[in-house]
Amino acid sequence: MTSQVEPLYAINDLVIDLYAATVSVRAVDGVSLHVMPGETVAIVGESGSGKTVSTLGPLGLLPEGVTVDVRGTAKAGGKDLVGMASARLSQMRGAYFGVIFQDPISALNPMLKVGPQLAEQARRFCGLSHEAARKEAVSLLARSGIPDPEDRYNRYPHEMSGGMLQRAMIALALAARPKVLIADEPTTALDATVQAQILELIRQIQRDNDIGVILITHDIGAVASVADRVVVLYAGQVAEEGSVLDVLTSPVHPYTRGLLASVPDFRAEDRVEAHEIPGLPPNQIKLEPGCRFAERCEHVEPQCRVERPPLRTIAAPGTPHRVACPVVIRREGIAVQ
Amino acid sequence: MTSKLKQIKDWPWLVLSPVVIFVLIGIFAPWIMQYNPAAQNYDATLQGPSWQHWFGTDYLGRDIFSRIVGGARISLVAMAIVLVAALAIGVTIGSFAGYVGGRVELVLISVIDIALALPSLVIALALIGILGTGYWSMITALTLAWWANYARMSRAVVTAELQQPYIEAARVMGASHIWIFVRHILPHVLGLVVVYASADAGALVLAIATLSFLGLGVAPPTPEWGQMLVDGMSYIEEYPRLVILPGMALTLVVVSFNLLGEAFALQKVPRPVRGGLLRKRRRARAEEEQARQAAERKAASA
Repeated sequence: MTSQVEPLYAINDLVIDLYAATVSVRAVDGVSLHVMPGETVAIVGESGSGKTVSTLGPLGLLPEGVTVDVRGTAKAGGKDLVGMASARLSQMRGAYFGVIFQDPISALNPMLKVGPQLAEQARRFCGLSHEAARKEAVSLLARSGIPDPEDRYNRYPHEMSGGMLQRAMIALALAARPKVLIADEPTTALDATVQAQILELIRQIQRDNDIGVILITHDIGAVASVADRVVVLYAGQVAEEGSVLDVLTSPVHPYTRGLLASVPDFRAEDRVEAHEIPGLPPNQIKLEPGCRFAERCEHVEPQCRVERPPLRTIAAPGTPHRVACPVVIRREGIAVQ
Repeated sequence: MTSKLKQIKDWPWLVLSPVVIFVLIGIFAPWIMQYNPAAQNYDATLQGPSWQHWFGTDYLGRDIFSRIVGGARISLVAMAIVLVAALAIGVTIGSFAGYVGGRVELVLISVIDIALALPSLVIALALIGILGTGYWSMITALTLAWWANYARMSRAVVTAELQQPYIEAARVMGASHIWIFVRHILPHVLGLVVVYASADAGALVLAIATLSFLGLGVAPPTPEWGQMLVDGMSYIEEYPRLVILPGMALTLVVVSFNLLGEAFALQKVPRPVRGGLLRKRRRARAEEEQARQAAERKAASA
């Protein structure tokens, strides 16, 4: 990691508490992560592991109807988003961050044509005139790989397929020329054949514009194909992070190993059955000491239940590979830096 | 069950208290009234509030408190009958139209539209003109004026819900039409219609009072708020309480039924935790965090 380049978005020691009518949930419990320019960071984890809340929470994009307490810092463009006034935050959301959601059909307004929705965004944040914004929107649609963009400009969302709409969503997210693109499970609602195209599109856009991409997903295939770095979250904490190569080929944390072993490998000769991780993720209502994964872990030791495992950097040239499991590090004699 | 109770506890009971008081007074009116509300006493006409007559008496010496209480009972019963009848007719016709569709729907929709196009009080007035004045013709007239709204809403809900994938799933699993309607669609219809009806109840109380005010509803000896307003009108300058007291009762009930409807409608919307509860929860969380840190420090030093 080059030290002179500032990260585009750096979350540090983020803690997010959600207070709903009957329960308090520690959705994010001390997460640190960052994106550099031109880098794609994948955030992997189960439902409820804090993937979405940790990245979108500092932007103020949280469920309605709950009270939220945020601690820690989330720096973007030299400013801390935590505690920022909502008007400025809204400006940041449009201009600095682009967000792609899981379901493109409900993310676009069905009452408005697709094109004008893009043009409006471009007009608002880039100060373009009506006509220039229209041209920009058509060119965004074209760059998002939508054939016949002039025609699509005047289409309503229900006239387009899911894959087309997700392309339009990407175009919309890019309309204000953001520095960071956050893709929240962008391929979950799409056909397998379209998924690859959308991921390739995100990758290409990132290369062309040199933006930082945060890819929130539980699709290991997507991680392998587009990401540079991976952050594995478990129950609101970072379990392991490092380059895609390190994490996917030599995972250390028992949870990462379990996660990777649970992906069926249909190219394997002997067709070994996919493994599963026994048990369920812990509830995040009670704060308990120790490793959150201890209950389901095969390597568990008594100290795991009382001591929070520190994130240790293990030998890796270039991108640091960090793991929150001292037990495996010690047992397998992995060198710590 | 406890969560249900908890939700009820969270309701804005202070503003809703007039509804509760209204219903209780309506039910227990015969025991609350000190006097026969129709009994005249020419020795005590137009008296001010006193221990004998809490709200005073009117120009015929009738006890105003007893008349307001009796009026609550009349309004409550009439309102309940009209609402139940209008809901039954409206939901049945509307749901049937929505579920069956096609020409049947077209015909029923036209009927509903015609009923909606005419102002409900005008329908009521016309019907009373045909049926003659009286308690039951008022109820019939109001029911026939009120059902169309519920029919329209029921049909809209049924049409929308029929598009949902779970209806298709039920069909795939071999559910009959009756089962699909009763089990899967009716709860949605009732959910919306009952919320609307709870807010509508206030408007109905007002309509009953209006008809009586015009002399088309409840016949004179029976106590009724609208009638009390008419009776008091001639004395409005000297004895304004004759108008103000029944007027206040009416206003409170109408406003508070509207609030009840709103409380029903907002019940399902999650609200952020605020105030004392939030402080308590934050303190609990901070204590939990300290306990965790202490436990982890102890483990680290050991």
